[in-house]
Amino acid sequence: MPVFKTPFNGYSVKFSPFYESRLAVATAQNFGILGNGRIHVLDLPSSTSPQISELASFDTADGVYDLAWSESHDSLLVAAIADGSIKIYDLSLPPTSNPIRSFLEHSREAHSADYNPVRRDSFLSASWDDSVKLWTLDRPTSVRTFKEHAYCVYSAVWNPRHADVFASASGDCTLRVWDVREPGSTMIIPAHDFEILSCDWNKYDDCCIATASVDKTIKVWDVRSYRVPISVLSGHGYAVRKVRFSPHRQGLMVSCSYDMTVCLWDYMLEDALVGRYDHHTEFAVGVDMSVLVEGLLASTGWDEFVYVWQNGTDPRAF
Amino acid sequence: MEKAINRQRVLLEHLRPSSSVYGSDSSISASACLAGDSAAYHRTAVFGDDVVIVAAHRTPICKSKRGGFKDTYPDDLLAPVLKALIEKTNLNPSEVGDIVVGTVLAPGSQRASECRMAAFYAGFPETVPVRTVNRQCSSGLQAVADVAAAIRAGFYDIGIGAGLESMTANPMAWEGSVNPKVKIFEQAQNCLLPMGITSENVAHRFGVTRQEQDQAAVESHRRAAAATASGKFKDEIIPVPTKIVDPKTGEEKPVTISIDDGIRPNATLSDLAKLKPVFKKDGTTTAGNSSQVSDGAGAVLLMKRSVALQKGLPILGVFRTFAAVGVDPAIMGVGPAVAIPAAVKAAGLELDDIDLFEINEAFASQFMYCRNKLGLDPEKINVNGGAMALGHPLGATGARCVSTLLYEMKRRGKDCRFGVISMCIGTGMGAAAVFERGDAVDELCNVRKVGSNSLLSRDAR
Repeated sequence: MPVFKTPFNGYSVKFSPFYESRLAVATAQNFGILGNGRIHVLDLPSSTSPQISELASFDTADGVYDLAWSESHDSLLVAAIADGSIKIYDLSLPPTSNPIRSFLEHSREAHSADYNPVRRDSFLSASWDDSVKLWTLDRPTSVRTFKEHAYCVYSAVWNPRHADVFASASGDCTLRVWDVREPGSTMIIPAHDFEILSCDWNKYDDCCIATASVDKTIKVWDVRSYRVPISVLSGHGYAVRKVRFSPHRQGLMVSCSYDMTVCLWDYMLEDALVGRYDHHTEFAVGVDMSVLVEGLLASTGWDEFVYVWQNGTDPRAF
Repeated sequence: MEKAINRQRVLLEHLRPSSSVYGSDSSISASACLAGDSAAYHRTAVFGDDVVIVAAHRTPICKSKRGGFKDTYPDDLLAPVLKALIEKTNLNPSEVGDIVVGTVLAPGSQRASECRMAAFYAGFPETVPVRTVNRQCSSGLQAVADVAAAIRAGFYDIGIGAGLESMTANPMAWEGSVNPKVKIFEQAQNCLLPMGITSENVAHRFGVTRQEQDQAAVESHRRAAAATASGKFKDEIIPVPTKIVDPKTGEEKPVTISIDDGIRPNATLSDLAKLKPVFKKDGTTTAGNSSQVSDGAGAVLLMKRSVALQKGLPILGVFRTFAAVGVDPAIMGVGPAVAIPAAVKAAGLELDDIDLFEINEAFASQFMYCRNKLGLDPEKINVNGGAMALGHPLGATGARCVSTLLYEMKRRGKDCRFGVISMCIGTGMGAAAVFERGDAVDELCNVRKVGSNSLLSRDAR
């Protein structure tokens, strides 16, 4: 399957929820420490073009740490920028007319963005300024700010069933579950002894959530009884940077880590680690699973490569 | 830069091992990148906006009242070096935005006029302005820094920083009476101390011995003599055609001065040990371990890198940072010990990154103190001798050091990337500037990431 070389270091990759062959990549110069950023929108090879083709790219003044496709419009992208801004891009417009919105409220690096998949009208941003913000496209300012975490918030993810519920993972070693109708967080789970870098909801069980941590493990939790995790998945050699549940199989998860590997897990199996890919030569920091094509995976990392491959095949073979 | 360090810090926390691998007290820490590594030191976003030096020249430095320039007008010292800058670069002189001359002892307005006249002698059109600057012993360096700052500010793209001093024509002296109020202000009073006394203060307070000082003087003469003998100064020195009047017969003789005449190749410890202290009966500062009283001039042509590239001029060096600091006037000689770290830090570097130093030897006492205080390698400092051998024409010294430093860096090649010039300043100050070799980075490598894309620093490799 195909490979795409980005000029900057990869930070995040997301499949489009509308087109099975489209994905977007967030990149940042100099490992996201200093310099510019660029968003690439890529189309996978088809019968007409045998290579990955770049549909559009957008430059930013600072690194792009994450992005999310709009669930309501096939051409809209939300990007979390290292300068703290949240920018909206419209693929149907030329790069000169983009971004169509830029919200600057976070005082530090914006690290994740997630579009509400149920109500499809709003999105979340998580930032190193310890806060999570709720936004809609039509308002000039954020709708709400959720500020309870005591350190960087690395990830905020909507519940796939409940339109008002989301979870946030933070460097303060807690996972918090929120309901936007409530004034504060509804649940605080001290999930790990080290920083939590990512979390994701199970797409088939709205009470099940996974957390990925600097302690090299992924833990799976049931929010109804969170004293002990359902499962602790060990196998990564360094901090786990991102974790995503499969849209197609209940127990299946994909994760990527500072140990440069991408791992597939099924937490319901006894031998949970069901696959390991070591195609990246630097920190693997972005991974996603296609909603539209079962088993299609994409990953990116600081080695400036974007790999797209079918589960079970070699990402480097193309 | 702070933002980048904070980002590094957050990301480094992700690599903090929770167990086993490194043990509990991790050795990983965030630190500013050192030169040689990918992001290196402070670089401007726009490479072409760097202020670079394309030419630096000086006259020979001669003993005042007895040396080669004893019968030379000060403006006749400055004019040849200004002219040389133009001739060696084929620059159209009308493109120069300003000429700034560091000069100390002469009456301000008279010297400003002399400098303006010197510019005319050197062939500059009336449209090129001239001014002087006086920060005592660092005036020459201050002039270069002023021009660099003006270029960076966008006032003009090409400028000349120069230095001029004829201690023959303008000996050190105080004019008029001293305000009696100084008696109440100890620090103000200390500004009036003869420089030699401040040297004795440094030697006394920090325990610099007579022998150490004499040894430094011997070394300075030895290095200067070796540099002269091997022709190292050939590139930087501009021969000055002038005249010498025989003191006995009054006969005028045309001569061309092309070498420094203060160097004593045969200076030995035992010779120097015989000299009597000048400033204090039981003191340690002698004529032998102090800088010489001299005449000379130097000039440096600076411009924006983009202009230099456009004109195809060779880039001798890059002006990185400058810092001037204040210290106790009674021990003014400690200035470099404070100024050097300030300038180096401003450049995003550490002292270890500096490969070559020109530290003015006003007195061996203060020179030795600064060297020891900063823990500098003697093999990196004043490798071609210093003011004890070459002389210290106050206003010219800074500009003189720029040419000496940059030509030596050029000779040393790639291993010598960063250089520092520093000097102490009468009335208690210090100044320092950081320079980089001109060819250490080019436009490509300025934007290029580390070739191997390795995350390890050069230290870990």
